[in-house]
Amino acid sequence: MAGFTQRLPPPRTALLRSITDPRSTEVLDRGLVLWFPAPRSFSGEDSVEFHIHGGPAVITAVLQALGSVPGLRPAEAGEFTRRAFQAGKLGLTEVEGLGDLIHAETEAQRRQALRQMSGELGRLYQDWSDRLKRCLAHVEAFIDFSEDELIEDGVLNRVDVSVRDLQAEIERHLKDERRGERLRGGVQVVIAGATNAGKSSLLNKLCQRPAAIVSPIAGTTRDVVETALDLGGFPVLLSDTAGLRDSSDLVEREGVRRALERVEQADLTLVVVDSAHLPSEVDRAAAFLREHLSSVLPDTGRCLLVLNKADLLPEKQRQKLDMELRGVSGLPAVCLISCQTNEGLKDFLTVLHSSVKTLCGDPLFGAPTLTQARHRAHLQRCAAALAQYQRYRDTDLALAAEGVRVAVTSLGRITGRVGAEEILDIIFKDFCIGK
Amino acid sequence: MNQLILICNKWQDYFPITDRFQPLSSWLLCFDFFGCVDWMGHQYDVIVVGGGHAGTEAAAAAARVGAETLLITQKIHTIGALSCNPSLGGVGKGQLVKEVDALDGLCGRAGDWAGIHFSILNRRKGPAVWGPRAQLDRQRYRDFIQSELLSTPRLTVLEGSVEELLVTEPNPEEPGHHRVTGIRLGTQSVVLTTGTFLSGSLFVGQTTSPGGRIGDAPSSPGLSHTLRERLGLRTGRLRTGTPPRIVKDSVDLSLAKLHLPDSHPTPFSFLNTHTHCKPEEQLPCYLTFTTPGVERVVRESLQLNCHIQQDTKGPRYCPSIESRVLRFPGRSHQVWLEPEGVTSDLLYPQGLSMTMPPDIQLRLIREIPPMRRAEIHTPGYGVQYDFVCPTQLSPALQVKSTQGLFLAGQINGTTGYEEAAAQGLWAGANAARWALSMPTVTLSRTESYIGVLIDDLVSRGVTEPYRMFTSRAEFRTSLRPDNADLRLTPKGFEEVGCVSSVRYQESLRVRNSLQDALTALQALFLSTSSWKKKLPSVPISETKSTLLTGLDLLQYNDVTFEMLASAFPESLSSYMEFAQRLKIEAVYKPHCDLNKKEIERIQREENMSLPQDIDYFSLPVSLSDEVREILDRVRPSTLGAATRLEGITPAAVVNLLNYVRVTEKKKETHRNQRHQEAQRDEELCANSASLPQ
Repeated sequence: MAGFTQRLPPPRTALLRSITDPRSTEVLDRGLVLWFPAPRSFSGEDSVEFHIHGGPAVITAVLQALGSVPGLRPAEAGEFTRRAFQAGKLGLTEVEGLGDLIHAETEAQRRQALRQMSGELGRLYQDWSDRLKRCLAHVEAFIDFSEDELIEDGVLNRVDVSVRDLQAEIERHLKDERRGERLRGGVQVVIAGATNAGKSSLLNKLCQRPAAIVSPIAGTTRDVVETALDLGGFPVLLSDTAGLRDSSDLVEREGVRRALERVEQADLTLVVVDSAHLPSEVDRAAAFLREHLSSVLPDTGRCLLVLNKADLLPEKQRQKLDMELRGVSGLPAVCLISCQTNEGLKDFLTVLHSSVKTLCGDPLFGAPTLTQARHRAHLQRCAAALAQYQRYRDTDLALAAEGVRVAVTSLGRITGRVGAEEILDIIFKDFCIGK
Repeated sequence: MNQLILICNKWQDYFPITDRFQPLSSWLLCFDFFGCVDWMGHQYDVIVVGGGHAGTEAAAAAARVGAETLLITQKIHTIGALSCNPSLGGVGKGQLVKEVDALDGLCGRAGDWAGIHFSILNRRKGPAVWGPRAQLDRQRYRDFIQSELLSTPRLTVLEGSVEELLVTEPNPEEPGHHRVTGIRLGTQSVVLTTGTFLSGSLFVGQTTSPGGRIGDAPSSPGLSHTLRERLGLRTGRLRTGTPPRIVKDSVDLSLAKLHLPDSHPTPFSFLNTHTHCKPEEQLPCYLTFTTPGVERVVRESLQLNCHIQQDTKGPRYCPSIESRVLRFPGRSHQVWLEPEGVTSDLLYPQGLSMTMPPDIQLRLIREIPPMRRAEIHTPGYGVQYDFVCPTQLSPALQVKSTQGLFLAGQINGTTGYEEAAAQGLWAGANAARWALSMPTVTLSRTESYIGVLIDDLVSRGVTEPYRMFTSRAEFRTSLRPDNADLRLTPKGFEEVGCVSSVRYQESLRVRNSLQDALTALQALFLSTSSWKKKLPSVPISETKSTLLTGLDLLQYNDVTFEMLASAFPESLSSYMEFAQRLKIEAVYKPHCDLNKKEIERIQREENMSLPQDIDYFSLPVSLSDEVREILDRVRPSTLGAATRLEGITPAAVVNLLNYVRVTEKKKETHRNQRHQEAQRDEELCANSASLPQ
């Protein structure tokens, strides 16, 4: 540690220090440094904490510098807690308790999530939660009071409608095809096509640097080349893949397998075609492309057709093609470009941008989208629990209500806690209950 | 000045005590002289004050646990009286009755003896929420309870009124902490079950008079004084009410809707196979509705009705007719006309609890068609009474600041016979354990409705009379009326000591048979097509070519255990007596399995107890002032209870957890050290003994 900062601060005192790489003595960051001599630390061993700035570059640099110090390695998952346990700092139940706090959805997580979830999404979940609670209160009222009280028969029918609507809404929300998560993690765009169609040239054009090796030799790209780029504000992970062809070369075959795997996982595939391979009769082009697409894509997912090397076509044919392929049924958007002359590239970027935008959804417009996998899991549980309501509605209302209860708690894990008293309050607000 | 009457505890007569009763001796005894009285040469371990639903269960449970028990009540002939509605059980309440019975309490068997109209409410809504309920014959119920108590070994019943509690001076090391030493009688534990009698006042119209029930005086003001001033307990005031009783012959029942009981009455008790009342001898109930005239009478008489004008909290779910029409105007409200007993010539109009002057009560009921010419036998009235904020109790229902003092029933802010009986049983059993120097016991909300009830009371407190609902139980699908014996009887015998060995053996037989039957069902492992051949009437989908067990099949709506037993008589027919229970077990099993993980988490938290003497304000852990204040006020007894408190942050829970762990560890180390020292001493002794002399 002394190598990282100028002086060792006194124990358990946070001090601002320059953090330097012990090899190059280069200053990596300025941050708070704390040290806890054994045994008075979380794990009972000598410990040090660096509080550094959160950018990936700083973190990577500090981690690399730490890794260069002999005897240092990154902790395994849960290692600190395990060491604390071994040093007798924590009892087993405590470790379990901590684990529960970390893994199970604790109030803190829920509150934190709620805090993070300001705005539209929070309001949407809150609205669902309110409606679900009302459903539950009405089912509970029907269970606890309908024998003695005037609970109108319509109550349960109204709950049926609400549950059905909610289930549909939640399922629709879940079917957003990961728009929100994509917005957080980046859209997977894969460039695929036959060898030598100009896929790598396209990648280099898009990321405006020679990220992939380009040569006239078919099969130059053998592995997946990945690059991240910002497309008009949307994060995109662009991958260039090996050209698709049958090859006896083992390495190339592996490249093709990886390419196909990528295509399968892609949010958007750019199928690149060498324009020179198009049939000279323009009216047969659409049929040719359709056939070509089906050989590249396992199923016609989201894709764009990119006809490269347009500069090699005679001007007349190019215009006719452009007319012919605009809005042909069974074909995705077609862009005629030339990576050589930049012809059509601007239009292509516009088309690509709007496709990516559709994939992410506009966060400022329309129904809010799911942003976290955790939320997705809870919502899935919620929707499944509502299905349980439908399943038992006519045979066992206790089990049907259990479905709504689970749905409420699942949603409650995102929006906050729901107690029995809250449900009873709704019951008494809505019904005239007497013994 | 009170007349004291001692009843011999070997009285085994079924007739009402008052008919045969010969006072052994009477004293004019002023409960004023100091010191402990050894009553008739007896030293009692537990004294129960009050002979209502809580008191009778408490006294019986304490005696079952093995304590010499004394029950003191104002009037012996009102022991087991149903002060309000002539019925027992219902949705949520029926679960409590089943659980009290599973712990060998009285009310289930008393209900089976006294019931005159049995029905399972919610029959079509699933077995987890079935509500076993019965209309009762008041006289028969009272007779049963009285004869049970009188034949209970170790239990003595005394007629009298308790003036005040004797408590020690507060412990100087723990200010505010007392120990109860008696009620002018030597004892270890006292269970107070004062019902509506603690500073009770009755309201009819503009008249207010002291009383706990019509015709009965309230408990002594000295008792309230001890609780409030001497012990410093926080108390509040609640209200309730009862409807007028109607002369049956004056009601035209042909204008009301007939409501018949179940044709096969289901007994409450796990020990009974049938009810005392024969199915065909059951009496019907009648349903009628309020008219706009009722609302008019209520509104016109508001200024004459001082009970309704007070803002004391009344039950939301047992409201008076006044509050019903005021809260939901313009509606027609249900009124049930219930029989009061086989020989009674009165009807109980459930839903018409009222506190207006008697002449207006008559005007009101005559606005309801079947009662156009009805006569009132006893007018309705309201009661206001003191309760002790139950957050001052431990989960054993013991007052935290006074060792040996237990509270049960309405004094804890609840309403209802079943809620009272459940607390009474638990408080009585714990009072006995305390007196006999055994550790007190708790019931978790994950294993019983009684646990839910007590946990709600002691960790949340009450703002209005508390009534049980099935919706209060998080694990409702696991806590069913049908399995109360499996959940509680073994624990009641093995850990609490309040269950007789006969009942215990029976519960083991049931548990083992059910287990064997489920194993036998799971051992039937057939393809869908074979099942189709065996049970042609059942729509089994053959699209999935999977194997199904008998248990899977029993989960089908249309499959009963009887059907499976007739298809596989050799392996299943011996379990026919459990056909219904097995069907329920099968359907609920997957859901109960899902509950298990959450139940285990809660139980783990409940197992971490928080010392009752923590000074939260000086605790050296990071807690906000707000959190410290809440913890100090409520003093949760476990970490689990602390997590459920409103306003307790998860961070506070983690810090508390750490604190508990560290203190326990210290204690353990301390214990180990002492143990080691002791061992060393022993070794030294042994060594010195073996040294050559």
